[in-house]
Amino acid sequence: MIKNDNKSKIDVKNLNLFYGTNQALFDITASLYENKITALIGPSGCGKSTFLRCINRMNDLIPIVKINGEIIIDNKNIYDKDVDEVSVRKRIGMVFQQPNPFPKSIYDNVAYAPLKHGIVKKGKDCDELVESSLIKSGLWNEVKDKLNNPGTSLSGGQQQRLCIARTIAIKPEVILMDEPTSALDPISTEKIEALMLELKQDYTIITVTHNMQQAARVADYTAFFHLGKLIEYDETETIFVNPHNKKTEDYITGRFG
Amino acid sequence: MLKPYETKLKNIKEEISKIGADVIDSLELSLNSLTNKDIGQLKNIEITEKKLLIKSNEIDNMIVTTLALYSPEAKDLRQLVSYLKITNELVRTGSNAKDFAKKFRKSYSDDLNTSIIIEYAIPLLKSSLLSLQTSISIIDETDAKQIEERYHRVIVEESKTDDLYLMVEKNILKLITKNLDLSKEYFDILSALRRLEKIADRAVSIANLLQFAQVGGDMVQS
Repeated sequence: MIKNDNKSKIDVKNLNLFYGTNQALFDITASLYENKITALIGPSGCGKSTFLRCINRMNDLIPIVKINGEIIIDNKNIYDKDVDEVSVRKRIGMVFQQPNPFPKSIYDNVAYAPLKHGIVKKGKDCDELVESSLIKSGLWNEVKDKLNNPGTSLSGGQQQRLCIARTIAIKPEVILMDEPTSALDPISTEKIEALMLELKQDYTIITVTHNMQQAARVADYTAFFHLGKLIEYDETETIFVNPHNKKTEDYITGRFG
Repeated sequence: MLKPYETKLKNIKEEISKIGADVIDSLELSLNSLTNKDIGQLKNIEITEKKLLIKSNEIDNMIVTTLALYSPEAKDLRQLVSYLKITNELVRTGSNAKDFAKKFRKSYSDDLNTSIIIEYAIPLLKSSLLSLQTSISIIDETDAKQIEERYHRVIVEESKTDDLYLMVEKNILKLITKNLDLSKEYFDILSALRRLEKIADRAVSIANLLQFAQVGGDMVQS
């Protein structure tokens, strides 16, 4: 357990996940902090994306997956039987590796979910929400004159920021990012990283990354996973300057993985 | 680079400038003391190697963290590596400033030929001070021409301190031959003045490092 004054947003307790008979996550326990960026790092297949998808119950979509343990968000275990997974995903947005805008206009990409969830009605409120979401995602100035153009007409980096705008339009509390910049060039990557630093003021962000430097640059906390186990979780500065576990040090310094 | 990196770099630069300012303040106090022939004032110099080391260790740790987290390259990398070395130079400079004040105050007395000592000590102190002030000012300079100009000013002042020290050494040795009973006091005064010459050497080293940081090339430390 990390000792600090930060407020915990997500408490993970003894989380285990199985794909059929194969165990992919082993007894994960961690507190993820509010308005902080937590990076999940580790070699391929270590369970970091699986863990990320547990936080918004995305793994429920896979029939062979079995999960035990608890993920408590604001004092409620999201795996309790009375919790609806759609409501969980509304509170916990997700941005994926590949930008995946809907085959709709830029405006509709952002407006679709809020209209569907009844957060706003068509008209002025919806326009304002689209505008504020695009402003927050740093895309407004680039698209304000072409809101009716297809989302897919944007560059890769712009599409990813559109997906972030789409995510924040439904006013989530937590944003999960699964390698959000791995398909982007360095300039678009820097824009997304800068955006993450802006967004953490309003949201709790958990990001999976293979880019160690990205974790070091943007994350307040870093969790190192290996073979489904949470090996070390601490302030990013500690992980990158004085890691306590040799496996973490070996991974950070490129000696394995 | 992202904003947090720029903020860290700004903090590091500010902390380095603060140490530099502390050393400069103590040299200015020394200069006042000598100019007013109020040598007792030298005891007011509060700078200590221990305090400087604490500050420089803090800065060094900030630099290590910044290197680890942001993996800087090119100019960003040159700056941080230079700053890491500059903190050490500043600690040594501060230590020399303190030693000068302490030794000079202890050895200076009316039994010595004070007019010759002061005649050389003041310009020596002025040149040391100017070399250090100029070298530290390079930290905020971005224009390559200005950096080059200031660097040369540092070199000129350091060269002056070399010449002045040789002259005062020659004169003091003459005085010693005339009055061997005061040889210890005169040698102590020389040793104190030697610290000022060393400060100028450190200033050149700092200027070299800052020039490397801002303009590039090979890292050179005097």
